[in-house]
Amino acid sequence: MRLSVAAAISHGRVYRHLGLGPRSRLDLLRNLVTALVRHERIEVPWARADEMRGYAERLIDYAKLGDTNERAMRLANFWLTEKDLIHKLFKVLAVRFQPHPGSYTRMLHIPNRDDIDRAKMAVIELKGNPFPPLIVPRRDTEKTLLNQLLKGYREDAHRAAVP
Amino acid sequence: RFLSPEFIPPRGRTDPLKFYIERKDMIQRRKAFNIPEFYVGHILAVTTANPYASEKASRFVGICIQRGGKGLGATFVLRNIIEDQGVEIRYELYNPRIQAIEVLKLEKRLDDNLMYLRDALPEYSTFDVNMKPVSHLDHEEIPVNKLQVRMKPKPWSKRWERPQYNIKGIKFELPEKKMKEAQKWSQPWVEFDMLREYDTSKIEEKIWKEVSEELKK
Repeated sequence: MRLSVAAAISHGRVYRHLGLGPRSRLDLLRNLVTALVRHERIEVPWARADEMRGYAERLIDYAKLGDTNERAMRLANFWLTEKDLIHKLFKVLAVRFQPHPGSYTRMLHIPNRDDIDRAKMAVIELKGNPFPPLIVPRRDTEKTLLNQLLKGYREDAHRAAVP
Repeated sequence: RFLSPEFIPPRGRTDPLKFYIERKDMIQRRKAFNIPEFYVGHILAVTTANPYASEKASRFVGICIQRGGKGLGATFVLRNIIEDQGVEIRYELYNPRIQAIEVLKLEKRLDDNLMYLRDALPEYSTFDVNMKPVSHLDHEEIPVNKLQVRMKPKPWSKRWERPQYNIKGIKFELPEKKMKEAQKWSQPWVEFDMLREYDTSKIEEKIWKEVSEELKK
């Protein structure tokens, strides 16, 4: 009778194994968070973007508490390796996202990387960034069936109303 | 304004309905039987129903060293030394066999988990079985006992000097070299890992309102 769980079962574990160990994983994600705060839109492997998203959003939640908060300042100091970005986080990003209760980032798929590894890539961006939008919603053309039917209906109504 | 820790649901993907049903049962039991507010470090006396004892009830006095479990399976462990033998008994809070829980002495300790008393000198775990309850006024704050416990010589059951246990209540008489070596196992990045934190303030408020309304009826 097996009394202990086998080593290879990982039910319910939420953290991915990135880098060389837990310290390395946090350092990797820290670099990505710094890059996101600096450039506001980055292309990264999908798994790293997924891990990074949670940390970025929690960092902004802490930043919203204000820079007089001791814990918020220590966390920002740890997570942003380039120290001029701490000012940007507290003065620009916290103000921008003050009205929103959550979900400050948008993550979208991208074709696989051109390198030999063909890695699954994603683009992650902070909402409200100054670049042109990634998804441009276009209106349907006039040639679709629904639009042609609506056009016909409008013309019939016009012809019935005129005489 | 105290909410017992077993009411707070753990972090996970279970349906909140399960916790709601458990809370209803817990409140029903609390209406029938008063479970006092207590923390780790209090000295309690518990009487359970025992068919094989004369008087049909058995009483055990001890210091609460650990409170575990959530929901109806919440447990607490009491420790005492009786005739030079250390005894620990794990009781379930919502067990119908428990007939009375009395708090004899209210004091909090520096840690949440006093398992290191097993490796401490026996004088720190002995309590008089016929101790009189120490009176405590309702509005006063519960005093924190900053006692630093002295330990038996090593080996211990667990390496309490390591930073993962985060124990503040032991007076370590180990050489400096051993303390520095124990710091090798420290993980300073865990403090900055934001996804590990479980913020229970809003959940606690909701549950506190629910529980206090039900108990007043």
